[in-house]
Amino acid sequence: MSARTTHRLSAGLAAIGLLLIPTACTGNAGSGGGGGDTLYVGTVNPPASFNPINQSDVGGQFAVRFAMDTLLDQPEPLKFVPKLADSIESKDNKTFTVKLHAGAKWSDGQPITAKDVVYTINLIANRDSLTTLGGNVTALTGVDATGKLPKGQAAVPGLTAPDDTTVVFTTKTPVDPNYVKEMIGTKVVIMPEHVLAKSTPAQIDDSKFAQLPDVTSGPYKFTKYTQNASIEYAANPDYYGGAPKIGKLIMKIMPASNLAGELQTGSIMMNSGGGIGNIPFQDLKTVKAFKDVNTKVNPTIGFQTIQFNVKTFADPRLRAGLAHAINRKQIVDELLLGNGEVIDGPYTSQSPFLDKNLKTLSYDPVLAKKLLTEAGWDFSRKINFVVPTGNKIRERSADILLQNFKAIGLNVVQTNYDFPTTLAKARAKDHDMVLMGLTFNIDPDVSNMYSSTGSFNLTGYNSPESDKLLLAGKSAAKPEARHQIYNQLQALWQADMPVLTLYSDHAVAATNKSVAVGGATAFWPGTVANVGQWAFEGAN
Amino acid sequence: MVTYLIRRILIGIPVLLGVTLINFLIINLAPGSPADLYLSPTATPEDVARTETALGLDKPVFVQYLNWLTQLLHGNLGVSFQNREPVTQLIADRIGPTLLLMGTSLVIAYLVAIPIGIFAARRRNTAADYGVVGASFLGISVPHFFLGLAMIYVFALTLGWFPTGGMVTLGRGGGFADRVSHLVLPVVVLATGVAAGMVRYVRSSMIDAFGQDYIRTAKAKGLGASVITNKHALRNALIPVVTVIGIDLSALIGGAIVTEQIFQWPGIGLLTIQSIGARDYAVLMGINLIAAIAVFAANLLTDIAYAVVDPRVAYA
Repeated sequence: MSARTTHRLSAGLAAIGLLLIPTACTGNAGSGGGGGDTLYVGTVNPPASFNPINQSDVGGQFAVRFAMDTLLDQPEPLKFVPKLADSIESKDNKTFTVKLHAGAKWSDGQPITAKDVVYTINLIANRDSLTTLGGNVTALTGVDATGKLPKGQAAVPGLTAPDDTTVVFTTKTPVDPNYVKEMIGTKVVIMPEHVLAKSTPAQIDDSKFAQLPDVTSGPYKFTKYTQNASIEYAANPDYYGGAPKIGKLIMKIMPASNLAGELQTGSIMMNSGGGIGNIPFQDLKTVKAFKDVNTKVNPTIGFQTIQFNVKTFADPRLRAGLAHAINRKQIVDELLLGNGEVIDGPYTSQSPFLDKNLKTLSYDPVLAKKLLTEAGWDFSRKINFVVPTGNKIRERSADILLQNFKAIGLNVVQTNYDFPTTLAKARAKDHDMVLMGLTFNIDPDVSNMYSSTGSFNLTGYNSPESDKLLLAGKSAAKPEARHQIYNQLQALWQADMPVLTLYSDHAVAATNKSVAVGGATAFWPGTVANVGQWAFEGAN
Repeated sequence: MVTYLIRRILIGIPVLLGVTLINFLIINLAPGSPADLYLSPTATPEDVARTETALGLDKPVFVQYLNWLTQLLHGNLGVSFQNREPVTQLIADRIGPTLLLMGTSLVIAYLVAIPIGIFAARRRNTAADYGVVGASFLGISVPHFFLGLAMIYVFALTLGWFPTGGMVTLGRGGGFADRVSHLVLPVVVLATGVAAGMVRYVRSSMIDAFGQDYIRTAKAKGLGASVITNKHALRNALIPVVTVIGIDLSALIGGAIVTEQIFQWPGIGLLTIQSIGARDYAVLMGINLIAAIAVFAANLLTDIAYAVVDPRVAYA
């Protein structure tokens, strides 16, 4: 390199610098702000999959629901509105009749018929199909406890399509119609038989359709997915619910810490609901101060727990003692900045089944120590406390828990693992206490976690009384009877204390004022219930 | 030279195989099944088993490795556990953005760093030199995530000159100016780090060269300062610098994990971190292989570059 070259390089650099500044200024910095024909939604968790019947996370369910419809929608807990179905009715709570909306079409112009509904349910129940919806169809006749048909059988007995707009199915025992409406009506996304019938059930999860459905039933159509970066949609002008008012919809996937900044610049006009687009609470004050953004803090149905291994802590007094040692108010005040609630049991204030008369356990270290001593706990014994990483607030809550346990003289050793490792350890009961976050349905059945045979029973809790009541609650068809059973269960679980709910964190919904209709709602399935009607201010 | 290259490439094959084997074993040592991540927490053991079979995770680890190798020989890196897209497709989609980001950053960093390093060496122990050394220390010490967030705060949120992240404005097609404006902040962050290190290498390498006898000879011959610097000192000083450039080059493919994440740059670095979080073994193996090949190729290029800058080096 000669001196001249060096000089030339420097001059070149200066030129590049000069070139960049004006381009930068004219660059589309506040891209997408205000009005227009494109709505930008900020979200944090990318969808794990687009297969409508194989969704392990809310990220995928949320993304799919903009483009694919279910039979019903549930905008608020236990309030059901028609979608692909006008109604799901039953006279005896055992035989259910679905009446479909006449004239609904797939995005390729084919009619959506009762045959598609029958195909979808049979596909879910097929032993070879990969699906996360098995648990939603366990009530049907002829399927086992995982919602699957016997090997070699392809049709759910009693599931028929008498005509193009009617579907009939039966349940093994009478069930609460709300259970059917929620679990089948609002969760089972109807699949297009004419597109998928050429694949075997085992092939569908690998099919092109499952990577990004190209024949859809909802108000929007998928146009492009850039993995973990963005999901793009275009309006479906032939939507049976009326053509959407906003032409394009783009979901931008970003770290939670970017949401506030993007809302400020107008690069996104709302965050997504369902716990997948949560604005960190430390940013809440900033977001509330934005002049053109409406902010609301809503309760959720999700909650965080500490699960006690009942083999280690066999005496219920030990579990109660541990529960009394925990300062849950401190967690809500310091980590959630007050944006959360303390509850006992699996029902948050959003659930119609929460027994509001049940008093939550107090924070009482003296009582805690007394209970543990009475039950003969050896305070030098090492307690293996497993904490999953991934949820920052949960990780920090472990610090408070550790201090609380140390304060009463317990010897707790904390180990952090990533989520799959934690789950493997918890399933193998290789822990004394483990932290775990959960979100169930509005339907109060939580047998998965509390039943002695539940697939998510991580505590080893085995109470014949609880098992009996859970079964009774599941098969009780009358809502009042169910309320009574679940109240009894909440009292029983509080006394037995296999699982302590630490807190239920609220969610921040922020929506730009240019959006007249739309945005995250308190109950996330409500967010996607009226996507077809979303509109900007000033639109007709 | 050709025989040398062939020999190097032949030696490289078992090395690459070893790298993939070690990676495969380490990835599989992690407890817990990826299947758990792709199912809801309330899934039954049957669901988990069905998913493990579908992902091929039900077979012993060495069988899984052999299957992977067999696929590789057919030019197939498998499919992503997450969304069943072919891994080759995923990597191909991401490599362009990463090359653009890293390439621009490296070129700008060298264009800035080499002249500044020479300048500092020529003015050794003056206020200007101290200023350059101090600034380069600062550049090395400031973590990328901090610089990135600070730049976003100042230039994107407060001044509104540049977008906060991404590669193009989504839904707007993205013209040339749009792309450049998205490129500026991440490039500045990455180039700062690379340039800061490079300035120090060039400076010390030049100072070494200035102390050599041949420079004294050149001075004694009465050559001008610029000829001595650029003809005699720089060419020799560049030899160690080439090694550093070689190391940087391998990062061209690997991407910049932290910076890509902060700026949501859809490159290999972002894909890596997301695949680790999702336990997407197939994608991770693919990225590891590509990164290993990149390191290998960069080393080879470095050795060849030696011959260019240093005529004493010959290959046989």
